[in-house]
Amino acid sequence: MNIVELTDVCKTYPSFRLEKVSFGLEKGKITGFIGRNGAGKTTTIKSMLNLIHTDCGQVSYFGLPLTENEEEIKQRIGYSTGTISWYPRKKIKEIVEVTRSFYPSWDESSYRKYLELFSLDENKKPIELSEGMKVKFNLLLSLSHSSEVLILDEPTSGLDPFSRDELLQLFLFLKERGVTIMFSTHITTDLERCADSIVYISKGRIRANCSKEDFINNYGKNGENLEQIFLRMEREANV
Amino acid sequence: MKELLRKEMKLPTLIITYLFIGFSFMTMIPGYPILCGVFFVTLGLYHSYANAREAGDIIYSVLLPIAKRHVVKAKYLFVLFIEALSFILMLVLTLLRMTVFSNSSIYLQNALMTANFFYLSVVLIIFSLFNLVFVGGFFKTAYKMGFPFVVYCIVAFVVIGLAEALHHVPGLESLNTIGFENLGLQTALLVVGVLIFVILTTASYKKACVNFENTDL
Repeated sequence: MNIVELTDVCKTYPSFRLEKVSFGLEKGKITGFIGRNGAGKTTTIKSMLNLIHTDCGQVSYFGLPLTENEEEIKQRIGYSTGTISWYPRKKIKEIVEVTRSFYPSWDESSYRKYLELFSLDENKKPIELSEGMKVKFNLLLSLSHSSEVLILDEPTSGLDPFSRDELLQLFLFLKERGVTIMFSTHITTDLERCADSIVYISKGRIRANCSKEDFINNYGKNGENLEQIFLRMEREANV
Repeated sequence: MKELLRKEMKLPTLIITYLFIGFSFMTMIPGYPILCGVFFVTLGLYHSYANAREAGDIIYSVLLPIAKRHVVKAKYLFVLFIEALSFILMLVLTLLRMTVFSNSSIYLQNALMTANFFYLSVVLIIFSLFNLVFVGGFFKTAYKMGFPFVVYCIVAFVVIGLAEALHHVPGLESLNTIGFENLGLQTALLVVGVLIFVILTTASYKKACVNFENTDL
């Protein structure tokens, strides 16, 4: 059952076009959203969060269209990115204090649990955190209000191999607890480690959308690994 | 909405915004263009807008479980809150100058604008221009603030200059009356200021909601 559904989402910029993007996220699964830089990953994610105005198509969560049910849906989802940190010079506890007031479902015990699990210090400011810790801080906010769906924009980008491994382990841990995760990346080993499904985007178009096994079976040639498959498909798309 | 206003006060707002409310005390300075105090109050607000942009406040707010228009509402409410505090302070100080200090020689010899209801009317007009030109201009893109602020500065200082000059025009001396002389005219001017403030701020807010809804973040 798909808990998130994108149907024919389009967005045109002067130099880029997202063309009828359609895919779904299965409940309790991890979906890797892969594509090279500028392929349309962030634009797609922004359309999933109503940060941009799409030209056509629809995004729905839990069977509800996003545009008409924005407030209710945002109570049940979380977003994190490896590139933005909110209020870099405010203490974590100050940001948390304000954020929790927006979520009736905020669970203080979950917050304390993940704070300890992520080894985050409430008295630190985001500017004092490493890139990996910033992602964890964003995840902490999402998980503390019991997000059922996590949308993560390049969460592993810029992380050292150890931090990346730690984060991917965390995704698997959250999946076991029924959380649906979609993360964008251009690092194929991230997908090999934890993705159940793969959505591959190139030049604003979805080129593949299936389980990881089907992807390897359907698109792989002569025992290619994921990286080799993507490189070949990307070259073919550019011809 | 209470939570959003609290968020505005606690996260993106700089202490300088609150401190600059203190420029309302310029109402008491004799021989000084006292309307400049209003500009400094809005300069304090500008600093918090700049900080909000650098701190990713708009994206953070939009990702909260609220409608996009509520982000605009919170920003306007916070601006109105600071303007209201400043105006109340200016009102109290103006009433002091109109009563306790009405015979003070230092104010009687003042060649510049005196603190009266006309002054308060212009205070409201300058605040409404800030809301229209700067706040409304900011929400056209939700990140460009330099151009709207420069335009606001020009407009604000033109208004300050005009307000300072008007009472020197023959026949308009009553704009600068001290105490409660020409109370009818002064009260009418204050009412006009209130109306301009309400109309311009409401129009700006409505346009900002539409613009922000269509903005790609």
